[in-house]
Amino acid sequence: MLKAIKPKMSVVWGFLAVPLIWYVFSVFVPLVVALAYSFFQWKGGPKKTFIGIGNYVQLLHDGTFWEAFGHNIYIVIICIVGQIGIAFINVLMVNSRLCRLKGVHRTFGFFPSTISAVYIGMIWKMVYDQKRGVLNWLLEAAGRPELTQNWMNNKSIVLSLISVPLVWQFIGYYMVILLAAIAAVDNEIFEVAELDGANAWQRAVYIVLPLIRNSLLVCITLCVSGNMKVFDHIYAMTKGSGGPGTSTMVMALYGYIVSFKNQNLGYGACVSVAIFVVSLAVIGGSQKLVNVIMKDKGVE
Amino acid sequence: MAKKDTFTASKAVNAQTPTQRLGTAALSVVINALLALFSLSCIFPLVWMFYSSLKLKRQFNADIMGLPAEPSWANYIKVLSNKDYHIGASLVNSTRTTLLSLFFIILFGFIVGYILARIEFKMNRVLYVVFLMGMLIPVHSLLVPIYIVFNGFGLANRWFTLVIPYVAFGLPIAVFLVESYMKSIPVELEEAAAIDGSSFSKTLFSIILPVTRPMLITIAIIQTFSCWNEFSFALVLSSKNVALQTVPLAMTNFKGQFASDYPKIMTGMLITMAPIVVLYFAFSRQIIRGMVAGAVKG
Amino acid sequence: MNKKLLASVLSVAMAASVLAGCGSGTASTAAPAADTAEEDAADETADEEETQTEEAEDAAALAYAGEINLMHYSTSEESEGNGGSDGFRTMIANWEEAHPDITLNQNVLANDEYKTQIATMAAADDLPDVFLLQGMNTKSWAAQGLVLDLTDIIKESPYYADYNTSYFTPFLDGDKIYALPALTGGTCTVVVYDKQMWADAGFDSFPDNWEDVKKANEYFEANGIEDAIAFGNGGQWQANSCFLSTLGNRYTGKEWFQKLIDKDTSAKFTDESFVKALQFTQDIFASGVFNEDFNTITNEDAREYFIAGDAAAFIGGNWDESYIAATLLADDEEKYNNLGFAVLPQPADATEDPLSQNIGLGYGLAINTKVAEDPDKLAACIDLIEYLTGPDFSDYVAKNYALGGLTKVEDVDLSSFDSVVQSFYNWSYVDTTTCEIYDSYLDPAVWSVCNTDLQSLMNGDMSAADVAADVQKAYEENYLGK
Repeated sequence: MLKAIKPKMSVVWGFLAVPLIWYVFSVFVPLVVALAYSFFQWKGGPKKTFIGIGNYVQLLHDGTFWEAFGHNIYIVIICIVGQIGIAFINVLMVNSRLCRLKGVHRTFGFFPSTISAVYIGMIWKMVYDQKRGVLNWLLEAAGRPELTQNWMNNKSIVLSLISVPLVWQFIGYYMVILLAAIAAVDNEIFEVAELDGANAWQRAVYIVLPLIRNSLLVCITLCVSGNMKVFDHIYAMTKGSGGPGTSTMVMALYGYIVSFKNQNLGYGACVSVAIFVVSLAVIGGSQKLVNVIMKDKGVE
Repeated sequence: MAKKDTFTASKAVNAQTPTQRLGTAALSVVINALLALFSLSCIFPLVWMFYSSLKLKRQFNADIMGLPAEPSWANYIKVLSNKDYHIGASLVNSTRTTLLSLFFIILFGFIVGYILARIEFKMNRVLYVVFLMGMLIPVHSLLVPIYIVFNGFGLANRWFTLVIPYVAFGLPIAVFLVESYMKSIPVELEEAAAIDGSSFSKTLFSIILPVTRPMLITIAIIQTFSCWNEFSFALVLSSKNVALQTVPLAMTNFKGQFASDYPKIMTGMLITMAPIVVLYFAFSRQIIRGMVAGAVKG
Repeated sequence: MNKKLLASVLSVAMAASVLAGCGSGTASTAAPAADTAEEDAADETADEEETQTEEAEDAAALAYAGEINLMHYSTSEESEGNGGSDGFRTMIANWEEAHPDITLNQNVLANDEYKTQIATMAAADDLPDVFLLQGMNTKSWAAQGLVLDLTDIIKESPYYADYNTSYFTPFLDGDKIYALPALTGGTCTVVVYDKQMWADAGFDSFPDNWEDVKKANEYFEANGIEDAIAFGNGGQWQANSCFLSTLGNRYTGKEWFQKLIDKDTSAKFTDESFVKALQFTQDIFASGVFNEDFNTITNEDAREYFIAGDAAAFIGGNWDESYIAATLLADDEEKYNNLGFAVLPQPADATEDPLSQNIGLGYGLAINTKVAEDPDKLAACIDLIEYLTGPDFSDYVAKNYALGGLTKVEDVDLSSFDSVVQSFYNWSYVDTTTCEIYDSYLDPAVWSVCNTDLQSLMNGDMSAADVAADVQKAYEENYLGK
């Protein structure tokens, strides 16, 4: 924070006014409207029936919603470890003096994030496909045909399988952010550390990590918020069903199904509000958790 | 940067014993192999989409991953010659929407991010949380309220319509990235400027802006593609007027109720993505240099 | 570059090369006037509206001049090979040409997007003037006052005598009609099979019972053919539309479902006959006559198994039949000539009509209630929807595709078609009896619950009784009103 100088607050608010109005209008007005609708039994159209907190009571007992919430949490955890973890390691490797073709890796890594989820989903569906899939083909080729299976129909692992493309697609996304963050760190620090005999692991944990702590926190926030409302991949890979059964149902997909497939817009609005509230709780919790962990590591 | 690399490398290698050198070589192989594997997997979708676009629907449906037996440019000719697909108009729309959105996201993200990072005032943390909340809005299940609000204010189906949600929903990420980046930049920078008599807005744009360039480029890269590929808002808010449709919506013309012509869709996607992809590759060196070399010494 | 606002420079550079890139892309494929590609595309909508020819057939009859907003899902992709969609687009173009004073603003989206967008617009009470109404939305949208009651209008229609009135049922609320059934009527459950393969297995035609299918399956497996029947339920709706809807009728009969539609509580999803149908579904999908991955692939994948010869038969809708026929005609004429069509075999413990198949028109053309405020405009809209579903349309699809629509066509001349097309026409409209397509009725929420549970049932993760109870609960909550 600036201490020595302090601009006039009128100037500051002058700068903030337009972005704030723009932002609040597009983001919060619809949410408030949804909040209002969530107290109605409403199947679309001009007629609504006020039912008070009826929808919220129903939501508390809605097994599918809470199952979906559990799936979101699972995906968030996998993605924090997978996306940010792997991105961090990749960035360290790319920045290491042993790495060749740095430019190529930096450029290519981001590529999957540029392609819309429909195609990513299609490719990965073909990886897991039973008859024509790459995974089963590899297992056959490796002489382990007994391990082949209809992957996407296996309830116990399908959620993990569906997280893999999600992790893979966004590694590059976080690499770009972390690369920019590390760019702000003075190169000499690395060199001095290397000369002092710090090994790669020590450099990563005790030097790089603390220096890019803020960006890492932003990454975690992005990752948690992104995956609490994850939608496109699962929609693409399960044809919008969250199947088999509800094994890959996530909250946003459920809200979408309730609103559009079932046209239960009142309840759909209630689900949307609930997604927002539980996501807020999760993200608040995760930030606390990260702070505690960082303090443990002596990072401040 | 490159010079520095070789310099430290040679110094480090000289200091190593033979065993250490062997270890380093092995590590080098592992690192390069892992990265190469990852980079190859990243580029594969593009390669796949390209060779799939050379197949006909029938061949694609029969064998989704295989190489085309008889490659043909038929899809390209069809996509570019059929007026129903309005590829040209949708490209113009997408370009305009993306550029405008980027401009405002970067401008607003920079201003708000900077203020939240540097200026102490009562509402500071409140605003931080407000922007945090924006990232938690489940857009897909809120499409009906969004439509109702935009329609109610007469903002739907205009040429600028999509810029509004794209900027608003792209803003939180930009704000956070700038805010976190500013924290790694020493405060003395502005304080020195202030002592020299520079005004707040002058400091902001002529001193701080260049310094945050790496992060702003990063934001630009991330947001370009999310604006370009965005589908839900485009469907709900601007599908009514064919002349305003963006590329992802125009692509749905290749879809049928029970059968979709995926090679044709991919052809359309490749044609419409080509400009940005080419640009990204062409400028990747500058972009990356801008990002990586932006370190502030202090 | 370094000193400036790189971001904005980048943006400008991007704009320039996006435009340049587009221009050169067009040029490389030798299209004329490549430089003006964008302008052409932008002008094209305007052109279409302006260059209407002045042949006015019955245009004089309409006093309205102005705009009509029409929303539908017949994309140009859809119309390739889909007779109903092609006919629909052709009729729209004819009507536009005949009415130069009226500007038809068409909003065409692919079916998935159409459903999302039309639901959004209905919610906001902002529907277009004329649109396609899905059967299962009829009652709730009518109750909301969103769609115009067309009962009297339809009775005065010049084509009324020729309408196949049984197609109206999905669009009824009580005795009021809310839409004119559009596009073509086609089955949702047809068994497409390779006559030669089944002859090799010892069956001259497709078996009428499942025991024989199982026997044939043993033969197929022993002879390197992977499965007897290919099926894909990856989107969860297929098992309902293309299997259960017909199979259920074999157990429950038609009255049972009619009672559910009429809110007559003496019929329930938990009735024994329906539970038996669910139980049979579970058992037959566990028996191995279907491809093992039926729950993860879609109908689009499954029909490829049949085309490739990996499966001896395929179960799907008329849209799959037309894809299979078109593909085989182009690639494998011998297999094309061996195409046979059959109804679902009858389960041993089913008691109702063994020749039934579910057929209907899932979408109808409806008019926004607000249009009625302007009588001239309403007259124009009525003229439009009557034309789009009238004899011109039916003649067109009968002549070109051997398909039927709402308006009956006397003495369809099939002689110009080959025997495969003829046999499918006869199978669809002549030789079989009809039953209802479940999800053209009731409430979408009911089928959403049903379809999700069905997938679990077919995987063996849920019992038939539990599925029935869930569906009944959803039916009571969403259709009967709590």
